[in-house]
Amino acid sequence: MSPLRRTLVWGIPFVVWVALPFVATRHIVDLFVFAGLYTIAGLGVAFLLGQCGIVSLAQSVFYGIGAYCTAWFCAHKGLPSPVGMAAGIALSTGIAALVGWPVLRLSGHFLALATLALGIIGQVLFLEWDWLTGGTLGIGGIPRIAPFGFAFDTPFRFYFLVWPIAFLLLVLHHNLLHSRNGLALQAMRDSPEAAAVLGVDSHSLKVKIFVLSAALGSAAGSLFAHYVTFVSVDSFAIDRAISFLLLAVLGGVYTVWGPVLGALFITVLPQWLSRLGDIHAFVFAAALIAAVILLPEGFGGAIRNWWRARAAK
Amino acid sequence: MSLSLLFQSVLSGLTNGFVYGLVGLGLASIFRGTRIINAMQGDFALIGGISAVLLLERFGWPVAPAFAAAVAVGGIAGWLMEVLLIRPLRRRGGSEDSYLLLTLGVAFAVSALVLYAVGRDSHPLPGLGGEGIVVIGDAAIRTHALWLIAISLAAMGALRLFFAKTALGLSMMAAALDAEGALTTGINVPLMRTLTFVLGGLVGGLAGVLVGPLVTVYFDMGLLLTLKGFAAAILGGLANPMGAIAGGVTLGLLESLAIVTVSSGYKDVIAMAILIVIMIAMPNGLLGRRLRKGG
Repeated sequence: MSPLRRTLVWGIPFVVWVALPFVATRHIVDLFVFAGLYTIAGLGVAFLLGQCGIVSLAQSVFYGIGAYCTAWFCAHKGLPSPVGMAAGIALSTGIAALVGWPVLRLSGHFLALATLALGIIGQVLFLEWDWLTGGTLGIGGIPRIAPFGFAFDTPFRFYFLVWPIAFLLLVLHHNLLHSRNGLALQAMRDSPEAAAVLGVDSHSLKVKIFVLSAALGSAAGSLFAHYVTFVSVDSFAIDRAISFLLLAVLGGVYTVWGPVLGALFITVLPQWLSRLGDIHAFVFAAALIAAVILLPEGFGGAIRNWWRARAAK
Repeated sequence: MSLSLLFQSVLSGLTNGFVYGLVGLGLASIFRGTRIINAMQGDFALIGGISAVLLLERFGWPVAPAFAAAVAVGGIAGWLMEVLLIRPLRRRGGSEDSYLLLTLGVAFAVSALVLYAVGRDSHPLPGLGGEGIVVIGDAAIRTHALWLIAISLAAMGALRLFFAKTALGLSMMAAALDAEGALTTGINVPLMRTLTFVLGGLVGGLAGVLVGPLVTVYFDMGLLLTLKGFAAAILGGLANPMGAIAGGVTLGLLESLAIVTVSSGYKDVIAMAILIVIMIAMPNGLLGRRLRKGG
């Protein structure tokens, strides 16, 4: 790629990204903030699926743990936001390691359904333990993130908080994939027996990735709680886990920036479709079915293939 | 806890168990025939249930023909599903996960379409035998629940005979076990795969008309039914469709014991925890003999 084209390929999206909140309405910026939050949580799911072939439907649990830890420590106890987020990540990773160790012995459909079962258990416990989570009434009054007195209290400001975090995580993800561990992961995915012979402990590697994925989900949940300042059990139901999985699959799990496209699809498209009235849910589901059949590698994969085919000409 | 309360909860657990078992029976049949986990099996039940509601309420059909037609609509839905969606994906070389996602997408689509067409309301269905109640000792059970149990057992027996004794059933099994070998003996493998889905749709439709009188029919009922059905099928050993009924009954009884001894809120937690433990500890289910893939 020539330097000019490289500049254009990276420069144009960057300019669009910076300009967007200045020209878009508050409502649109709000949607983009959610797309950023979902990118972070969905990145964890995409990582699991792309590198380990694990379908996870438990991400809503970790998203919820992050949000409730932030709500509990920052709203109830009045502690600063890093404490809430760190507590959420610690609890999520602990639970992920504890549960992941036995459950990740399963594979294929059975593992997918085990994670779905975990998602449902989480959803019920968030509702039943209302002394901790507030149940359907939820917990309100969560303070904003306000380092040095500057509060990220509008969609506009939060947009410039959440997206740099998301981009940083994408870059770290990219670097991890190209490290020794990343190569071990690819070997494990593409040829488990050969990887085992070469001394790759695939079970413990899977558990590590599951833990990492849980940490991303939890961090996204904490940010979510700081953004909306109110959390209730509705936000952490099983359909949220399904949307995280869908954004990973739709965006494509074999490209680093696939989750961004997937997150934009599941946040912006339903809002845009809602002008169609009640039929919009069906149109969304139909778009999803079409994407699964027509774009097996997701949007990211389709664009990459198109780009490579074009470059080869 | 009084003995009669325990007995009553056993009866309701038994009823629920057969519902889970019927959904699991459809899931396991489709898995056995195509190696696909059909995440919309519960939505076949929704299709059957809502068809029965519409035929009864809007067209004034009597109960028996309306129920029979609703089961047939389930079968048609299975046929459409295979021909319009599964087949194109197979042609494009779908992975194991992509079938799961496809059927999940269809589950959303069906649910959204029902929401659009008939709204959010719950629709009651009349039970077989009306609102009649049979008293056993000092506990009571609806006549409909007895019908449900009898019909589930009959469906299980019929499926068993179908797969073991009829030429069509044996061809379907052959197509599933060894597609190439089946082709060389002149079995129309694609047709067998389609018929597997028709069969799954029929069983799902049957589950819908039988569960409707118990829990009412509403647009969002599919996913949880699928999950419970899947738990039932896993408990019974997925390779053995007959095990699904046994698995469903086990699950239903455990749930009802959980309600009596812990609290009704934890019913799903206990069911799902059991599902996970069984998958890890007993990969072939309670009744399974053969090894299953992906253990």
